[in-house]
Amino acid sequence: MCRRCAMLDRRALLAGGGAAIAALGAGIAQARVKPGDMVPLVGPGFKPTDRDEQGLWREMERVEEEVSSSNLLIQDPAITGYLQDIIGSVGGPAAKDFRIYLAHVPDFNAMMFPTGFAVVFSGLLLRMRNEAQLAGVIAHESGHFLRRHMIRSWRDMKRKTDVFAIGAMIAGVAGGAAGVYTGDYVQLAQLGALISLFKYSREMEAEADAMGSVQMEKAGYPPIEMANIWQQLVGEQTASAAYRRKHRDRGYGLFESHPAPESRMADLRADAADVTVPGKAYDARRARYLATIGPIRQMLLDDQVKLNDPGASEYLIQTLAQDGWNGLLRFYEGEVWRLRNRAGDEARAAQSYSAAVVYPDAPADAWRWHGISLMKAGRAGEARAAFAKYLGMKPDAPDAPWVRQMMGA
Amino acid sequence: MLVAAASALSACSSIGAGESGFSDYAFVPVKRVDVGDDSLSVAAPRPWNRHRGTLFEDIREVEDWTLNGPILDGMSFVTGLKNGRTLVRQLKSEDQQVPKFRSDMTAPEIAAMLESLYRVRGGTVEFKTLSLQPRQFLGANGFELDFEHLDSDELWRKGRAVGAVIDGKLYLILFDAARAHYYGAALPDFEAVVASARLK
Amino acid sequence: MRYRLFGITLCSVLLAGGCVQTRQYADMEFTPPAGEYKLLVLRPDITVGSLTTGGMVEPRADWIDEARTNINAALKAQQAGRGASALFVEHRTEVPGVSAAELAEVERLNFAVDESIVEHKYLGDYLPTKRGRGLDWTLGEDAVRLGEKSGFDYALFLHAEDQVASTGRIALGVIGLAGCFVGFCAPNVGGATQLDYASLVDLKTGQVVWFNVVQAGSEVPGIKFGDLRTPEGAAQMVERLLGRMKPGQSVRRREGKT
Repeated sequence: MCRRCAMLDRRALLAGGGAAIAALGAGIAQARVKPGDMVPLVGPGFKPTDRDEQGLWREMERVEEEVSSSNLLIQDPAITGYLQDIIGSVGGPAAKDFRIYLAHVPDFNAMMFPTGFAVVFSGLLLRMRNEAQLAGVIAHESGHFLRRHMIRSWRDMKRKTDVFAIGAMIAGVAGGAAGVYTGDYVQLAQLGALISLFKYSREMEAEADAMGSVQMEKAGYPPIEMANIWQQLVGEQTASAAYRRKHRDRGYGLFESHPAPESRMADLRADAADVTVPGKAYDARRARYLATIGPIRQMLLDDQVKLNDPGASEYLIQTLAQDGWNGLLRFYEGEVWRLRNRAGDEARAAQSYSAAVVYPDAPADAWRWHGISLMKAGRAGEARAAFAKYLGMKPDAPDAPWVRQMMGA
Repeated sequence: MLVAAASALSACSSIGAGESGFSDYAFVPVKRVDVGDDSLSVAAPRPWNRHRGTLFEDIREVEDWTLNGPILDGMSFVTGLKNGRTLVRQLKSEDQQVPKFRSDMTAPEIAAMLESLYRVRGGTVEFKTLSLQPRQFLGANGFELDFEHLDSDELWRKGRAVGAVIDGKLYLILFDAARAHYYGAALPDFEAVVASARLK
Repeated sequence: MRYRLFGITLCSVLLAGGCVQTRQYADMEFTPPAGEYKLLVLRPDITVGSLTTGGMVEPRADWIDEARTNINAALKAQQAGRGASALFVEHRTEVPGVSAAELAEVERLNFAVDESIVEHKYLGDYLPTKRGRGLDWTLGEDAVRLGEKSGFDYALFLHAEDQVASTGRIALGVIGLAGCFVGFCAPNVGGATQLDYASLVDLKTGQVVWFNVVQAGSEVPGIKFGDLRTPEGAAQMVERLLGRMKPGQSVRRREGKT
């Protein structure tokens, strides 16, 4: 089935593995980098003078050309403008010239490139609870940029591989597995794979954390929100793994093979304490975030839920529901059970659908699934009414012919 | 000097295996053939290529064909898939799971199962259902699903599936191809194959 | 355009000794373009880098510039020698009469088609219905529209990659082939390696009428050939890639050649 899918598996480079989250488990043995020590190494109008850096930039320019014309981008000007504002405020001295691209990929991920462009995946927008958290991820990635981590990492790799040439071949292989791409970037300018290419060292992650905290505080966001992001992510990963009755993934995927990231979160909290100015007013700008993301929230939920990772999806819905349940959330809760389809899930899904349709914001699809649940429970009259409601909301629904046949039956 | 160096180099044997040896694909002749678990037979209007199943990747009830290679087009046969089985092999430990087939699934549920297959396994980032309508298949009340999807290689693909649940088992023929040129080019083949389909 | 995973799988092929391998496939009725024709060379992916001792590719902006200039010049000269005019397109906005979005769609399909050709013609996973029948793939109506709108007869999609050994590697003389499966392609069997592919699309029909892969490697570090940083090297690469187009099988049979 889907022979092309099997080919994808075979050729797949790295499974997930986000630069934003790489070494989240960058645990013990890494001393905290003090925010006070972090200054931007890159100012406005920076252009590389070293030959190797120039070469890397050239590749990055080609990558940006490919990324900017990708049809995987979400081009909604309200949202891209919003992201532009945020990166402008936390990106550092040169941030007004930055470009930020939003890709329609349901993973939690973001990456910043040394030529001054960032790529953010839509999965990120589902998981951030307020503007400060979104800014925190962007500030962290800007930290990698401001501290010139990509060229440093590349030079580190080159130095290491030069010294051990035979082992270098293996390092090249290991580099691939560890995510440091040492070949032709342009060849892999594919959005899905691109972001998983680059993993920074633990020291660099610590620097980015510290630099990011500085930038966040300057922009007026509560720096503690950076620690909260990781807290939420750990919660999600734990829920996902718990459902599969296994431990949180430590190899491929979002986490490196390190012990629990509590130490890193502790560091982030200490960073926040360092930079927070007592008495200064900070604002996480929750309302503005919810209002801006609102129009695409259904799409984000749809993308996530249909991946059928019930632990993670349920966790995310519960988190969003902390602001109060509504028709949209109850509907997607139902979808999670329907797709999970363990014993008893059909009944759970049916319950969620009937709860969803009570709310005025229930999407049309909620009525259709409600109708199907009723039909399966033998409540034909109620099912017909639900289907009629569905068709009333969506007269040109693509499955209208099928629904009408069900109503007639 | 460059030229001298070049002429000192010989030509070599061709790159890779070329078209010799064993291929994963077998020839499908223009006549009635059994597909999947052999409970279904079809006849194609022109030769296709059948992917030989592998023990670890494929399941017995599913068979894949292609005209130009699976990146460009593909026709898949699902024959007698039982309750609780999945369309592809997967480990229980995987975070994202292709849903299992259930005998009491309605057409929208089967369509949703296919959509998740594409999103979880096929690198699909956008999936649009174009239509879902009743259609007779193998003498039973089945359905036809038309859809489009954008995949992570930036290519839009288009598909049609015709299926029915018979005696609690799923029978489905699915055609999926690049929306530009390839879908239209082989859709008549798909319709001919569906029309020819017979349970044994 | 991009050759992503395509380039990676291709370099998993082993080279023996020092040799030049080219293997071209053509449509059965293919006759190499001749006379006055217009050729569109679409966004060639040219990478020139230094191969470090450790096997990493260090891209060199100045070399890439030189290589592009040289290839551009070599292509123009070679095509002019045949009476044709060639337009070298670097950005998606540069094709006359065609929007960037339209060109992007053709490029995306072309990538999928090229990947299929490599998989099923070069890597052993042949399709029985296509076996021994030349080249049987098309870009379809979108490519024909591209030709009509731009006024071009053929489109050439080109990838050229040239790694020049840095002094470190020459000293060590390490030979190895590794890592092609893990996202890092080390096409460094010896000193310098060149990986070039070209596909020619007839814009009147949309068919991919000719496809060629050139893989050249020198086992002896220090011998450079086809160095894209020099005009001679670029001319040599262009000649190797495009200069020896053979007519299709049916044409050759009719002309009494094999």
